[in-house]
Amino acid sequence: MKKKFFAAAIAAAMTMSLVACGSEPAAEAPAAEAPAAEAPAAEEPAAEEPEAEEPAAEEPAADASAAAGGDLNGDGKIIVGYISKNTVDVFHATLNGAAQERLDALVADGTIDEWTGILDGNTDAAKQCDLAQDCINYPCDYVIILPAESTASDPAVTAMADAGIGVVVVNSATDSTDSAALTFSGSDDVFAGELMGNYVMEQVPEGGVFVHCQGIIGNSAQIQRGEGIANTIEKDSKWTKAADVPCDWDASKAVNTVDDYLAQYGDELKAVICDNDDMSSAAQAECNAKGREDIVCIGVDGNQGPLQMVKDGTLGATVLQDGAGQVNAGIDAIVAAIKGEPVDKNYVVPFVVVTSDNVDEYLN
Amino acid sequence: MSQKSAEVNNKKFYQTDAFRMFMGKYGIGVILVFMIIIIAIMKPRFIYPSNILNVLTQISVNCLIAYGMCLCITTGGIDLSVGPQLALVSVLLGQFIVVQGMNMGLAIILSLLAATFFGFLNGVLVAKFNMAAFVVTLATQLVIRSIAQIISNGQGMSMASQEFKNIYSGTFLGIPYPIWYMIIISIVMYIVMHWTKFGRYVFAVGGNVNAAIASGVNVFWTKTLCYTISGLLAGIAGVIFTSKTGSAQSNIGVAYETDAVAACVLGGTSFAGGIATAPGVLLGAVIIGCIYNGMNFLNIGSYYQYMTKGIIIIFAVLLDMVINKKNR
Amino acid sequence: MDNSAYILNCEGISKAFGGTQALKDVQLHVKAGEVHALLGENGAGKSTLMKCVIGLIKQDEGTMEFEGKPYQVSGPVDALNRGISMIHQELNPEPYLTVAESIFLKRENTKGFLLDKKAQNKRCEEVLARFDVPYTATTKMKELTLAQVQMVEIIKAVSCDSRLIIMDEPTSSLDSTETDHLFEVIRELKAKGVAIIYISHRMEEIFEICDRVSVFRNGTYIDSKSMEGVTRDELISMMVGRDVKSVFPKVDCKIGKPVFRVEKISGNGFRDISFEVREGEILGISGLVGSGRSETMRAIFGLDPITSGKMYLDDEEIINKTPRASIKKGICMVNEDRKNYGLCLLRSIRENISLPNLPEKQKGLVLNQKREKKECTEVAQKLTVKASSIEHNGFSLSGGNQQKVVLAKWLMANPRVLILDEPTRGVDVGAKSDIHTLMCEFAAKGMAVIMISSELPEVMGMSDRILVYHEGTVRGEVKREEILSNKITQKEILAMAFGQNK
Repeated sequence: MKKKFFAAAIAAAMTMSLVACGSEPAAEAPAAEAPAAEAPAAEEPAAEEPEAEEPAAEEPAADASAAAGGDLNGDGKIIVGYISKNTVDVFHATLNGAAQERLDALVADGTIDEWTGILDGNTDAAKQCDLAQDCINYPCDYVIILPAESTASDPAVTAMADAGIGVVVVNSATDSTDSAALTFSGSDDVFAGELMGNYVMEQVPEGGVFVHCQGIIGNSAQIQRGEGIANTIEKDSKWTKAADVPCDWDASKAVNTVDDYLAQYGDELKAVICDNDDMSSAAQAECNAKGREDIVCIGVDGNQGPLQMVKDGTLGATVLQDGAGQVNAGIDAIVAAIKGEPVDKNYVVPFVVVTSDNVDEYLN
Repeated sequence: MSQKSAEVNNKKFYQTDAFRMFMGKYGIGVILVFMIIIIAIMKPRFIYPSNILNVLTQISVNCLIAYGMCLCITTGGIDLSVGPQLALVSVLLGQFIVVQGMNMGLAIILSLLAATFFGFLNGVLVAKFNMAAFVVTLATQLVIRSIAQIISNGQGMSMASQEFKNIYSGTFLGIPYPIWYMIIISIVMYIVMHWTKFGRYVFAVGGNVNAAIASGVNVFWTKTLCYTISGLLAGIAGVIFTSKTGSAQSNIGVAYETDAVAACVLGGTSFAGGIATAPGVLLGAVIIGCIYNGMNFLNIGSYYQYMTKGIIIIFAVLLDMVINKKNR
Repeated sequence: MDNSAYILNCEGISKAFGGTQALKDVQLHVKAGEVHALLGENGAGKSTLMKCVIGLIKQDEGTMEFEGKPYQVSGPVDALNRGISMIHQELNPEPYLTVAESIFLKRENTKGFLLDKKAQNKRCEEVLARFDVPYTATTKMKELTLAQVQMVEIIKAVSCDSRLIIMDEPTSSLDSTETDHLFEVIRELKAKGVAIIYISHRMEEIFEICDRVSVFRNGTYIDSKSMEGVTRDELISMMVGRDVKSVFPKVDCKIGKPVFRVEKISGNGFRDISFEVREGEILGISGLVGSGRSETMRAIFGLDPITSGKMYLDDEEIINKTPRASIKKGICMVNEDRKNYGLCLLRSIRENISLPNLPEKQKGLVLNQKREKKECTEVAQKLTVKASSIEHNGFSLSGGNQQKVVLAKWLMANPRVLILDEPTRGVDVGAKSDIHTLMCEFAAKGMAVIMISSELPEVMGMSDRILVYHEGTVRGEVKREEILSNKITQKEILAMAFGQNK
């Protein structure tokens, strides 16, 4: 019985593979031999790479036909994919929310025909590569991706670009974003790290001991923000770094870290720098509860909770990353591409230090 | 007796023993077929050959891990250390190939040896000292993850050489390599589980360890070998994974054991031990792949996807149990 | 029929499992204050009927009446509340509960949300006082012997005010003193008007304790008789539908040279044991439960350690640290605990039979499954294992057939020495006789057979020589001639087992 079934399964697999062999080239045709395809496909290079620097063999269509369109794969529909980094942390929930609202509106007004909904990248580059394949098969014309990793998520971006999809990379760049993607919209995490370092040095000019709560080790945001911190406060002789503590973006782990280092350094501890502000706000709350309001805690993102604390005066400052701004810039680029307008290669949405002076601008 | 055989002859096909045994073993395949039909009706592109290849390519990593997991579960244990094994192999490949400039084949073999060694270690701890597999692998999971972080210093490393990336993205006869790996390993695992002495010993140890001992089965080696194979398969999965993302990193493979366990359970692997089939595990992995891919195609919101997955698993296993109960 | 005289009336009960008709239109009538035997081969439907009575399964057709009222039951707890309890053959006590906690499980004394242990223990002592038991309410279950655990179950049944107690093979793990004690308790219960359904394969016991008997065969009801005036042969032919030739089909074989010898071996539960077995010989081992019989054999087979002494196979010294080592040398053992050490019930008959014999079935790296299938089918047929296919799993088999599968795997291994520990426990009459015949065949092939049995007639009927154990040592040795010439009788062997010298 087993044997028979297995034989059947193998046979099925073989048959399927034969079918696949036969039809594979056809399915990939739009990507591989785009200019040879029918009319709508002819517009593709124009829409996809308005400012492509690479020597493109398929350039003849030129900008002449760069009129209305955007249906890159020629199936008569404009479909936009959205590959999130994850759907759980607060910052990305904000971003996803902004995308949802905006893309729903675009479907409603007929600019695009369909979008995939928010695909959950699970903070896993391999998962994002899988989702990229799903988008290719969907088939999407444009895909917005928020990479989980700078290197490991890169195959997702290149695979989609190779398949002729207009890829919009948002929030953090991947290695070949510059060459493969339609556009990049994001902020510079090294700059965010520097902002944090500088803020702490300004607030506590006499210096002291600080502790650094890291995100998940290996995430590009963790690495780059760490670089920014290294560029500034770590170079200052008045400051001593107690430790880099891996806290996995997790507020409760940051609180534990604060407790541990308060116990160890006591009054010498002057600042806690966190890779995100879920952690820094929790750390500040813990310091305040222990009667150490003097400790400066700062982090990146600008989530609503920390902003509210800034407003209330329980948190000194937080570094705001305008996630919604990044997503909207990315979507603007897609709309522009569909209309045949030129698209910038880079939209840098700046980080802002939010204090009690400007918090009202950002608090909902 | 003759009266009994007359009864057998009068039965409809679905009442026959053969059909029952088939459903008992592969009832889950029926679920898969239904699932595919439903999704395909709603979204015909789901069954385009390019998407089917896509799904099969995607499941290769999980499928390999699931085979090892299946052996461990069948002997009454579990291997939670598979996720960090991926990370270990990944960072070792980075060190060997990028830093040391080692030959690719040699680097892969050395990395696989490392993963196999940790699998062996799991096995010895579980089998020799009779520690609970859950506890042992929960602990070694932390150790292996930490070693990976120490080796890599927490940094990712680009593995962008075309030769290396070909391990994942290359094709043979139009079929991506990962599918070929999966086919080969499926055949090997089928033979190992159902055609060898070792496979029989695995089922016997899982089904009734005392009876296995009293029948002269070497329980220590049987269990140890299961975990060792699980380590090796996780290692191979790690090579594929690393090639897929083109990057050597220590933070990969988090919670990958969950999908592997789900594939095993869907495939009829009994958590009580002693029951499993290799084709079942393959079907389980395909179902998981179809759930992920299908839900994206059907525009199911990501918040609902986990719930959907959970419910499908519960229903599939329930159905399987109902069929199996009738079978008894 | 006037049903009013009966406490339990079952009429027209049918039950099918899948395609198998386990019960076909059976009836059962039990009077208050009688001990009613259920007789039948394994698989005859006795257990299925009892499971219907206590609500473990639901019958497809038929009605039941208990104490004159229609009786429908949702499960064992419900049955207990209505006055029916069952003492199962295989007892699974919770080792860390106390006696009191076991007896009052699910009906604990409570004070608000909390358990009132004091009151419960006191209540338990009152109940225990009615029986002559050597333990107290706070003794842990794991400290009790199997017989004592069984007693706890009986006490539990009595304390629940049960008017009907079902006992499934209650004596299968008891020695003769314990059995006698159980019978006293049964007589007391009977005197109080409690009805008892007594399931056993031991004919002697049924004649000793039971008042009436109902016989089942192949899921059908055959007849009920009063025990007075019925003969043993009559009952057996009712059960099996054929005449059992002779109770013990012992064939005298040529006894050859010594095969296996142990010298002064000691271990946990036995000391200074020496004996030898020869080719073609059946060596019987008798003694009370716990006298070290099984412990010796387990140690020889490598399941438990031997602390001192030597073993010789063909005059060569051997050391068996694991069963694996013994099997390689040709020493195999059928364990008394079939459920734990005999079969892997989840797997197929074929896999179970070939498990110890796989190395011989290798063809290169893989197994020669065709040959395996053929050889397993042959051996299963030879041993008359009743199953429609060797691909069925062990759960589908009755106890006797499971035991035959265990024997089949060792028959295939073709050992030099075969140790059988209680080979016919919990096995029906037909299968019992088959197993005895097989033992003779094994011996005829030149195998040395060692058989442990608690049933004296079996040991005396089957053995060429008998070793009698008492408290961890061999107390005496009896030859077959001495039994045949009536020089030694059952009484004398029993006396040795109780510690008298021969």
